[in-house]
Amino acid sequence: MDRVVAWFSRLIFVFLYLPIVALVVYSLNASEVSYRWEGVSLRWYVELFADRLLLETLRTSLIVGLVSALLATALGFLSSTALVRFRVKGRGVFLGAILIPLIVPEIVLGVSLLTVFSTAGIPTGFVTLILGHTVITLPLATLVQMGAMSSLDPSLPEAAADLGAGAWTTFRRVTFPLLRPAVLAAFLLSFATSFGNIVISTFTSGVGTTTLPLRIYSQLKSGLTPELNALGTLLVLLTLAIILVVGVGQLRRILAGGPASQ
Amino acid sequence: MTETPAPVAVRLRGITKTFGSNTVVQPLDLDIRDGEFFSILGPSGCGKTTLMRMITGFETPTDGSIELDGRNVDKVATRDRDLNMLFQSYALFPHLSVYENVAFELRVRRTPKAELDGRVREALQLVRLADFAERKPSELSGGQRQRVALARAVVGRPAVVLLDEPLGALDQKLRKEMQFELKRMQREVGITFIYVTHDQEEALTMSDRIAVMSAGRVLQVASPIDIYDAPASRFVAGFIGSCNLIPARMEAGKAICSGFGAVPADTVDAQARGVRDGDEVVVAVRPERITLHADPALAPAGAARGVLAERVFLGDEWTVHVSTQGAVLTVQVPSGENGAALAALADGAEVAVSWTPAAGRILPAEEAAA
Repeated sequence: MDRVVAWFSRLIFVFLYLPIVALVVYSLNASEVSYRWEGVSLRWYVELFADRLLLETLRTSLIVGLVSALLATALGFLSSTALVRFRVKGRGVFLGAILIPLIVPEIVLGVSLLTVFSTAGIPTGFVTLILGHTVITLPLATLVQMGAMSSLDPSLPEAAADLGAGAWTTFRRVTFPLLRPAVLAAFLLSFATSFGNIVISTFTSGVGTTTLPLRIYSQLKSGLTPELNALGTLLVLLTLAIILVVGVGQLRRILAGGPASQ
Repeated sequence: MTETPAPVAVRLRGITKTFGSNTVVQPLDLDIRDGEFFSILGPSGCGKTTLMRMITGFETPTDGSIELDGRNVDKVATRDRDLNMLFQSYALFPHLSVYENVAFELRVRRTPKAELDGRVREALQLVRLADFAERKPSELSGGQRQRVALARAVVGRPAVVLLDEPLGALDQKLRKEMQFELKRMQREVGITFIYVTHDQEEALTMSDRIAVMSAGRVLQVASPIDIYDAPASRFVAGFIGSCNLIPARMEAGKAICSGFGAVPADTVDAQARGVRDGDEVVVAVRPERITLHADPALAPAGAARGVLAERVFLGDEWTVHVSTQGAVLTVQVPSGENGAALAALADGAEVAVSWTPAAGRILPAEEAAA
């Protein structure tokens, strides 16, 4: 029985990581078609950096991802502070309102966003993309930060005030350092969600602001080129670098929602 | 009790706190003297923590005023009040080392670097944690964290330190040790301590004075000895130590209990406190002040007869329940000669109990306040 479980878990690992390994391997394939192996080459990396159109969409995705993640993290921080610290009336309603975008199908959100933007006369572009992505990342950023905040001992800010610290000093020296891992987690999660999003982007992007996933999706019709494998490999490497920098242990703690360095 | 009182460190006048329709602290006046170890003692939910949080400024009183060192602080924020608090959870900053935790207040108040280090080391010395400066709070035991919290509370030399059940999370043995430690440190630094607890033993061992609270009211403020020997009310008598409460009625200046006759009690003192004939009262007698007579025939006149109901051997003493006509009395009998005589008796044996009138304190049967 134990042997079966052990083999099964190995199988799951293969299932999870085989696509990524395949991606990396084929990015180094010199052949133009993926079913033929013609030896190792960096050809697709060179082509990738020559593909102005693709790089343009990458830039769009990075900008939208960074700005909307920043917005969602900041707004999420403020709303979770309000929800955790103050037992105000209508707290449940407010929390529900923030979390609804998690439940509403994205396609519905996309349609309604487009309706709102066109009614308000806002042309589709960076602004609408960023607003749209903030709508779907805000619930995530709020949830992650709320978890960390509610596990924070409420007497810590009181102790700081008791020891002579004003609101700003308390925030800078006590509350924020303890919440930093959660803030970072909220930012990374928001960024990743925005970066991979297709549905909301379909409705909110305009001419000249095509995002990377939209571009890749549209290439499905004409056939995927191996330079996408190269791009994918670079993104995987970037993710690994972030994990190494943040630290594996730290990351686990962040995602579990606990406070920092206990 | 006519010595010149020390100047007042904390003065409360008409302090009240209501949450919605719920009055947690009834209007109360309290003077806490400079340099004293003052305990606020009461069962959980009596309002003692709320009272303390109003002194620190975490809660705003619904009514009344607070003075610290003769200065009204009703409009002064917590950070500007010259007092520090020791939290029940310790509230140490988990991301800072022991040293930085203690240094926090001095850094916030921009103490010069040269002075800062000396004072932090001095505070750590006081709590005997000088070797632990670089540790994180998570690497310390409960007792050590407690001491870091104390060092952090006294390093800024506040006029008053408030302690909220600080020993609650420690085990029995450590608590005893810390009681002595706290008392020693308080004497060493000479800061007024306001100690909030529900543990009567802690309050009795450490305090100069105790305020007993119940249901939002202060029932009595007195020295530990007076609280124990001369409780002002039925609640105080029952809450501190164990106490026999014999129901009686005042007749012709005596406390009469049906089936008991005149209960030996300090009637002069009772009259001085305004107990009148016809009042329903209780006579409070401490178990250790009752003498047990194994042979009723040898008991002095006025002793009450009873039946040996139950007894427990505790090593240094026996705790005995004697069932008399009027009440079941708890009696403490020291081991030794008397104890040996007691051990020889059978359950249900006829015995007698007596006590001096001075040992019986007459209190109103109805709690006036609570």
